[in-house]
Amino acid sequence: MATDQDLVVETVRDILSGHEPFVLTPARRWDEGLWSALASAGLTGVGLPEEAGGSGGDLADAVAIVRTLASGAAAVPVAEQLLVAGPAVIAAGLTLPPVEEPLTFGIADTVTATPSGDGWTLTGTAADVSWAAVAAHVALLVTGPDGAALALLPTSGLDASDGYNLAGEPRSSLTLAETPAAVAPLNDAQARELRAGFALARAVQLSAALEQVLAWTVQYAGERHQFGRPLGKFQAIQMELAEMAGEVVAVTALTDAAVQALAHGSADVALAAAAAKVRAGAAVEVVARLAHQVHGAIGFTQEHKLHHLTRRLWSWRDEAGSELVWSRVLASGLLADGPDGLWPALTRVV
Amino acid sequence: MSNSLVLAPAPRSEAAEQVRAEVREFLADELAAGTFSTHVDTWLSGVDPAFSRKLGERGWLGMTWPKKYGGHERSAMERYAVTEELLAAGAPVAAHWIADRQSGPNLLTYGTEKQRQEILPRIVAGECYFVIGMSEPDSGSDLASIRTKAVRNGDGDWVVNGAKVWTSNAHESHYGIVLVRTSPSDSANRHAGMSQLLIDLSLPGITVNPIRILDGGHHFNEVVFEDVVVPGDMLLGEEGNGWHQVTAELAFERSGPERFLSTYPLLAEFGRRVVDSGDPAQLTVLGRLSARVLALRQMSLRIAAALDRGELPNIPAALVKDVGTTFEADVIEEVRRVADVMPSLDSPDPLGRALAEAQLHQPGFTLRGGTNEILRGIVARGLGLR
Ligand SMILES: Cc1cc2nc3c(=O)[nH]c(=O)nc-3n(C[C@H](O)[C@H](O)[C@H](O)COP(=O)(O)OP(=O)(O)OC[C@H]3O[C@@H](n4cnc5c(N)ncnc54)[C@H](O)[C@@H]3O)c2cc1C
Repeated sequence: MATDQDLVVETVRDILSGHEPFVLTPARRWDEGLWSALASAGLTGVGLPEEAGGSGGDLADAVAIVRTLASGAAAVPVAEQLLVAGPAVIAAGLTLPPVEEPLTFGIADTVTATPSGDGWTLTGTAADVSWAAVAAHVALLVTGPDGAALALLPTSGLDASDGYNLAGEPRSSLTLAETPAAVAPLNDAQARELRAGFALARAVQLSAALEQVLAWTVQYAGERHQFGRPLGKFQAIQMELAEMAGEVVAVTALTDAAVQALAHGSADVALAAAAAKVRAGAAVEVVARLAHQVHGAIGFTQEHKLHHLTRRLWSWRDEAGSELVWSRVLASGLLADGPDGLWPALTRVV
Repeated sequence: MSNSLVLAPAPRSEAAEQVRAEVREFLADELAAGTFSTHVDTWLSGVDPAFSRKLGERGWLGMTWPKKYGGHERSAMERYAVTEELLAAGAPVAAHWIADRQSGPNLLTYGTEKQRQEILPRIVAGECYFVIGMSEPDSGSDLASIRTKAVRNGDGDWVVNGAKVWTSNAHESHYGIVLVRTSPSDSANRHAGMSQLLIDLSLPGITVNPIRILDGGHHFNEVVFEDVVVPGDMLLGEEGNGWHQVTAELAFERSGPERFLSTYPLLAEFGRRVVDSGDPAQLTVLGRLSARVLALRQMSLRIAAALDRGELPNIPAALVKDVGTTFEADVIEEVRRVADVMPSLDSPDPLGRALAEAQLHQPGFTLRGGTNEILRGIVARGLGLR
């Protein structure tokens, strides 16, 4: 029986089939046509409550959409909007911009928010903000007078640098100088969960892209013949594909569990997200390397689709906090109850 | 991805969390009382019948089995929590491990009523231990090539001749489930003609010769059968169905937390070191290893949940064992790289001791229960490649 979620995924797949991934260039930095199609289908507000201007549905629906788009290498800021910026803006009590207009998110601890007249202004540089060059609005985690704060501002007129990740997805530095913004203070826990939510969004994207890369590679190993046999009949290739599968299944199992932790409002969601991000990042090395190895030279070309995902994998693993950052957060959190606390923490987090 | 590899997420089990807390308290008390000390890889090397009986008294053996055989009719998820706690504490669980994990379930599926009634309650009590009699000197990965043979005599009993090898804890156990040839091998159907016999290891004609592992420890053995007369009613399951029955054990044998927690006591000790040192490089390594543990738990829990649904997910079990045993060995190298510690079994430093135990047992992790190369072949089949 088809669930609502299957229907949502089906709709996204239909739309995606008319928007093949393309090589992003400074002249064509995102898939505006795809965004419009998703927005007109109401898919850019899924998981955000209707009373706040979203289209309803739950976290699982939003995650399903993000996964589908990630495996299709879709150049649109949907993960940022549905999983990070949208929920954060609503939770902080700020007004959600129309969901038809792309809203993105960045971590900008060095940007300070200062009260000014009735409102607030931001000053400082927000580095590596995904999609800021194409989004209409950006939500930033900044530093306010009493700690962390969430700032929301339109991108028009902002000074955004021309930066790109390894897949050509825009990643700009925003230079802010007493720039007006809506600002809401966040307590420590909220700030921590927001960072973790961003990491989890990337982990979800990584997980979906890793699964897709495995599927492409298995398929290719069945189609390409050498020495009169499909590659997949060679035991050396089978070992490589099995190793990839082990990594992919591990990432999926842990990412699913972290999403569940978020859906249930677990107190350990930040650690669950940290673990998912670390595990997914570690899998990228194995899966991307072996996928290219099995594909041979054709997979090394710009014509072949493989790089649409492998280049994203190589970037996403370092975005929203690298394995280095999150592994320390995870270990510190797991040891918070002292030298004998590791095992109880490991069995509690997910 | 191929559906045969991916299982549904495990539901959270309150009952499992409850029994987990009970086991944790029990283990803390036992440790405090000094009835055991923590070691690495105790499901191979920690034989302690008194401890096994204590677990039996608590109701933590045969947990999922029917009450009429002394079992407790609890879920695989509850059993998972119990076994995981025992392993994490490095408790001495080797005596009963095989019987509780796979021989009992095998008897439940294929045993006769008499066999079940006689044996299962004793396993549940922590008093009856089993060995796996599969490997032979010339038959390791290629198990179908075994030569130990059983022939019916005039009384309808089985006469067994041959030798099994690497038989873990045969010198401490009561029964073996032994894979034998009951008809000559047929090159057209290599998997035909094998059967499983339930063999009392005290029968005349059985010799158990110790084989020492590289640190001198005596854990596995050669078991030689010379004209051993096994009563006719000790056939397990059907004659000729041995290969199928052996395969059915694998989901139990390969998916449990012992396939990624054998070196957990080393990781726990490393965690204590990191608390003391606060060293960022050590913290990073601990975080990376912990993320791997968390992922493996989710993978293994999914299999426990599938067992509760009555499935035998052999392919996901092969996959989790490959990933998990690779992890067990990786813990050693990752810890070494960032902790300046000398491995030694007599080190005054518990980290040095745990590292030594783990290092000396490491080669076994990726061999026992099917090598990782063989497991990857099974995963490749799950991917549709063969
Ligand atoms: C600690 C320990 C406890 C054990 N306990 C038991 C027990 O209680 N009962 C029992 O029956 N057995 C037991 N075993 C035996 C275990 O099941 C075997 O070691 C295992 O099946 C491998 O067989 P082998 O050692 O003969 O190696 P081999 O099969 O000879 O393999 C040697 C190497 O060749 C590789 N290889 C073999 N065939 C292939 C192939 N087709 N493709 C690619 N590579 C291949 C293997 O992966 C391995 O790397 C135990 C082993 C250990 C280490």
